[in-house]
Amino acid sequence: MQIELQNLSMTYPNGKQALQDLNLSLEAPSLIGLLGPNGAGKSTLMKLLVAALTPTSGSILVDGRPLDKAERYLKARLGYLPQDFGLFDELTVTQFLDYMAALKDLRCPEPQIQEVIRSVNLEEKAKARIRTLSGGQHQRVAIAQALLGNPLFLIFDEPTVGLDPEERIHFRNLFSRTAQDRLVLLSTHIIEDVQSVCGQLVVMNHGQILFTGTPEQLIQSADGHVGVFWERDGVREEGLHITARVNTGQGVRCRAVADRLPACARQEEPTLEDAYLYLISREAVR
Amino acid sequence: MTKIFRYECRRLLWNKFFAGFLPVFLFYGWQVLSHMTIRGVAHTAPFSPWSYGDYLGRMLPLLWIGSLFFLTFFTSGRARRAAALTDAAPISPGRYALARCAAALAGTALLALACAGGAAAFYGYYFGWRQWGGLLLPSLATLVPPLVFALGSGWFLGRLRAWLVYPWMLLPLLCRVLPIPEALGLWNGTFFTEYPLTLNGLDPVFSLPAAVIAAQVLLCLAGAALLAVSVAEGSQ
Repeated sequence: MQIELQNLSMTYPNGKQALQDLNLSLEAPSLIGLLGPNGAGKSTLMKLLVAALTPTSGSILVDGRPLDKAERYLKARLGYLPQDFGLFDELTVTQFLDYMAALKDLRCPEPQIQEVIRSVNLEEKAKARIRTLSGGQHQRVAIAQALLGNPLFLIFDEPTVGLDPEERIHFRNLFSRTAQDRLVLLSTHIIEDVQSVCGQLVVMNHGQILFTGTPEQLIQSADGHVGVFWERDGVREEGLHITARVNTGQGVRCRAVADRLPACARQEEPTLEDAYLYLISREAVR
Repeated sequence: MTKIFRYECRRLLWNKFFAGFLPVFLFYGWQVLSHMTIRGVAHTAPFSPWSYGDYLGRMLPLLWIGSLFFLTFFTSGRARRAAALTDAAPISPGRYALARCAAALAGTALLALACAGGAAAFYGYYFGWRQWGGLLLPSLATLVPPLVFALGSGWFLGRLRAWLVYPWMLLPLLCRVLPIPEALGLWNGTFFTEYPLTLNGLDPVFSLPAAVIAAQVLLCLAGAALLAVSVAEGSQ
C-alpha cells in the first residue's frame, strides 16, 4: 500500500490554515511516527487521509489513484482510530465489534473479533456493556475496531491516551508487530511512544512538515546542540530552550537545546526528545 | 445490512429510555381509554372509528416524542462522535443511513402497534368487541403521516443541530393549544369530535374530507422527502 501527498493544503471555513503544501510518501511495510505539538495539524492530516475532510488544494494518491476516486478502495483497507470518538454504550464490546465488522463487510467475523479482543487484553470485558468500561478500556475497544479485518493501512491518532504505562508498552509492541507487513501511521505528541518502535518519523508544526527521516537522522540533526549547565551560572542566552531541570545535591542542573550553546554548558549526547524539541524550538525562533 | 438493522433496533429498543417510556406510554393510553374514550365521542360508541381516532389523537404527542427520542440515537453529540469510526468503514453511507432509518421506522411502528394493541385489548376486555379490522383506516390516517413527518423533520433538524430535536418534540402539544386550520384537525383532536356531527345519522361510517386527506398526504410526502434528503446527505 502506498499513500502519496502532493502539495496538500487545508484551510477550514473559518479561515484557519491547518496544513500548508505538504508533500509526503508513505509506503508499506512501515511504522511511521507523526510527531508534533498540539495544533500542529496532525489530526487534520489524519482526517484528510481517511476522507473525512476534503483538502482545499493538492491531492492524496492511494496506490496511485486520487483519493476522491478511490475512497471505497481506501476504506476497504483502512483501520482508523481517531483522537476523538464515541462508542455505542448500549452494546457490549463483542456486539460493538460485530457491528463494526458488519460495517467493514467482514464475512464470518467471530474468530477475528475474538482475536482483536485478545490482542487488546479485553477478554474479561468481552461481554460487558461499553457504558461500564473505564476510559482506558474505551480506548482499547476503539483500537480493537481499528485492527478488525487486518487492514493494510492503519491510522492511530493519539492511541495511547488514557492507557496506563504497562498498557502503553503493550500497544507500542502491538503496533510494531502489526507494521511488519502493513503501513501504520501513529500520530502522537508523546516521544516515548515512537522512539522505540517507529522506523520513520514525520515531524509537523504549524501545518508544515519540518522533518522526515529515521529517528537516528533526527537525533543526528541535534548533535552539538544539547548541553547541560548549572542554573547558578545564570545563563540567559537568546534561543536557549531548557528541556529539563533536575534538582541535585550541587544545585539545579539544566538541560537545554540551542543553536549555539552557552560557553559554560557541557555538550551532551542528544536523545530523540532533545532532537524533537530542538527542531520545534528552531522553527519557533524562525 | 440486516445485522446493522438488528443492532440499531437493539440500541433503540433495549435501553433505559424505552424500558421506562413504554410502561408510561401504555399506562397513559389505558387512562385515556378508560376515562375518555369509554364515553365515546360525537355520540358514537367507544369502539367506533371516531372514538378510536380521538384516542389516537390524544396519544399522538407521546408517539411523536417517542419517535424523536429514537432519532437522538443517531443525531446526538455522542452519536456524531461515533460517526468518526463508522464513517471510516467501507459500507455505502446511503445503505448505512437506510438501515438506521429502517430501525427508527421499526421502533416507531412498534410504539404505534403498542398504542393500537392497548386499544384492542381495552375493547376486547370491556366490550367483547374484536372487529379490529375497522380500526385500520383511522390508524393509518391518523398515525402514519405525522409519524413519517416526525422522523423526516426530526432527522433533518437533528442533522442541522442535535439540540433542535428536543424543542421539536413539543410541536403536537402546541398544536393542541394553538388555533390550527381545520384540515389539520387530526393533530388537535377536533376532527374526531366535530366532523362526525356534520355527517348524517348516528355512528356514521368513517370517512375523511378531501382537505384532511390532502393535508395528511402532503405531511406524509414532506416527511418522506425530508427522510430522503437526510439519507442522501448521509451518503455524501
